Amino acid sequence: MYNCKYIKGHRLKTIRAAANCIIPEHAGLSSGGTLETAAVVDWAIDQMPKELRVQFLLFISIVNASGIFFGGRPFHRLSYQDQIRQLKWMESSPLAPFRLGFMGLKNYICMGYFTREQNWSDIKYQGPILYDQPSPDDIIRKLCQGKIGIRS
Amino acid sequence: MKKHYDIVIVGSGAGGGTVANSLIPLKEKGLKIAILEQGPHFSHSFFTQREIEMMRLFRFNGAWPVKSGEITIAAGQGVGGSTLMYTGVSFRLPESVVEEWDVPGLTMDDLTPRFDQIERDIHVIKPSERMVNDNNRLFKQGCKRLGWPVKKIPLNVKNCERVGFCNLGCSSGSKQGTLEVQLPKAIQSGIDLIANCEVIRLSEKTVHAKVHKAPPGTVDGQWPPGKITIQADIIVLAAGSPGTSGLLLKSGFKQYLPRIGRDITLHPAMTLYGVYPKPIVNYRGFPKTYYTDQFTNSHGYFIETAFYYPFVSTRHMGLWGKNLSEIMSKYNQLMTVLILNHDTIMPENRIILDRKGTVQVNYNLTETVIKSLCHAQIQTARLFFEAGCELVIMPCSSSPVIHQHKQKELEQLIKAKHFIPIKTPVSSAHPQGGCAMGKDPDNSVTNSWGQVHNFPWLFVADASLFPNSAHVNPYLTVMALADRVADRIKKICS
Repeated sequence: MYNCKYIKGHRLKTIRAAANCIIPEHAGLSSGGTLETAAVVDWAIDQMPKELRVQFLLFISIVNASGIFFGGRPFHRLSYQDQIRQLKWMESSPLAPFRLGFMGLKNYICMGYFTREQNWSDIKYQGPILYDQPSPDDIIRKLCQGKIGIRS
Repeated sequence: MKKHYDIVIVGSGAGGGTVANSLIPLKEKGLKIAILEQGPHFSHSFFTQREIEMMRLFRFNGAWPVKSGEITIAAGQGVGGSTLMYTGVSFRLPESVVEEWDVPGLTMDDLTPRFDQIERDIHVIKPSERMVNDNNRLFKQGCKRLGWPVKKIPLNVKNCERVGFCNLGCSSGSKQGTLEVQLPKAIQSGIDLIANCEVIRLSEKTVHAKVHKAPPGTVDGQWPPGKITIQADIIVLAAGSPGTSGLLLKSGFKQYLPRIGRDITLHPAMTLYGVYPKPIVNYRGFPKTYYTDQFTNSHGYFIETAFYYPFVSTRHMGLWGKNLSEIMSKYNQLMTVLILNHDTIMPENRIILDRKGTVQVNYNLTETVIKSLCHAQIQTARLFFEAGCELVIMPCSSSPVIHQHKQKELEQLIKAKHFIPIKTPVSSAHPQGGCAMGKDPDNSVTNSWGQVHNFPWLFVADASLFPNSAHVNPYLTVMALADRVADRIKKICS
């Protein structure tokens, strides 16, 4: 069982909602907003230097709280259209920290989605030739292969 | 713990590995030599070809941002340095750049025999037709239709199995980086290699370092974890462009050498994608075999073939939402190229220490570079369409996904005004400069032999030496300069 250390509560809801916007169910791809995506993001956050981790977790909270300006409620409770509107504003914001934060959020969500084997067939990626090469980190291998339960 | 060596080399990449290899004759004469590498020692079995597991080959997991966040730097972290994760591109420094650098004593006559020897040692070849995959074939076809010159990229590979995972570590050992060639020879001669050894600072003929525990799955080091002081008659810094300057700044050399950290370039790059109507499977075969220098002189960039794995590709595209899902659903139809800008030194761009003493690269893209990157996107879109792509992804277009029927409007669509710093994905794998070679301490950090001005015991042997952009992928040049540095050390020691 993988127990998420950082992505839980409002952060889990925010990540899942943002992931549904970043990678929507479309063109044969399933939606990004799953617990499996969030668990890989959680693992990656654990690898970050402490200072960066604190900044990133704070940014997730800011994303959620900023929903108030785009529809009067936290990000994860906004309508899909309002969530898109908020993310677009952050992506092109005149304030560099928002643009940086958005890029970080988008990149970690894409990591959480496109490194998982379950999604490789949808993008027609055949994966590594050395498929069974032992991993230096058993946890991330199992998360990416969907061979471990997740608790958040 | 305290140690003494005659020569200590900091870093084991293209520079450090080559210096070590070239100093083997001194080892054979009885001198004690050590290589200190900050990163771990990865064995071939570590390279699993999975991008999330291989992030640890890179500093900051492959996305080391410059201070403004406009560019992310990819730099290797481990025994072999950036030769761990480069594609093996081995260009010689062009004669025009040697002339532009104008470093006393650095001539093509001096460099050519070094290039000849190094190319033999690291097995530089022109790729055979067998190595050319669909992406590269289509690139060549597109360039020819446009009347652009297409050239083969020189590569240092041997018995390449063409599995396509060069940037995640070469599991077969075909890529002839320092991990495969120079370092094994150096170790066999008796030179010590100390992995996981972080150099904290330097003082007079002394290295202050900290040895860390080897991460799981990597080769155990020969020294126990803990602080260590190493005295050495000669110290050679080859920790890479930001690393070497950062170490000198941390060690207080700036007061004697004001140019430390200055004169930097990054080769700002963008990876661009086109969607071909049918599968081309760019992720098998050798990723890089062709380039065009059509716009080198007129607009300051190369276009090279490239390939990247799914997650990293999403970073390059700058897309999200339905556009991202749509394009990624055609991942095995993607044509990919890399545009490599030849930037130039600017007074405001430099390596610095922040308030906490952490090394930062202070770099802002100039208007000239942004215009050049936009020009490159227009030309790459033309190339993709000529090769048969039905749509292209250009981050500086008013709408990043451009369909074939709009190919006559490229110049109206792709404009510098659509470049938004941070949002527009720009990366660098070639940080250069920071300890430029030159005549005196007012305009440089080292002499033309990499010897630091006024500190005859201290040398630099990496891309930090470049007084300006190399214009081409820099590894072979780093090796040639490192060989020159070793020559000077041999002369001193004899």
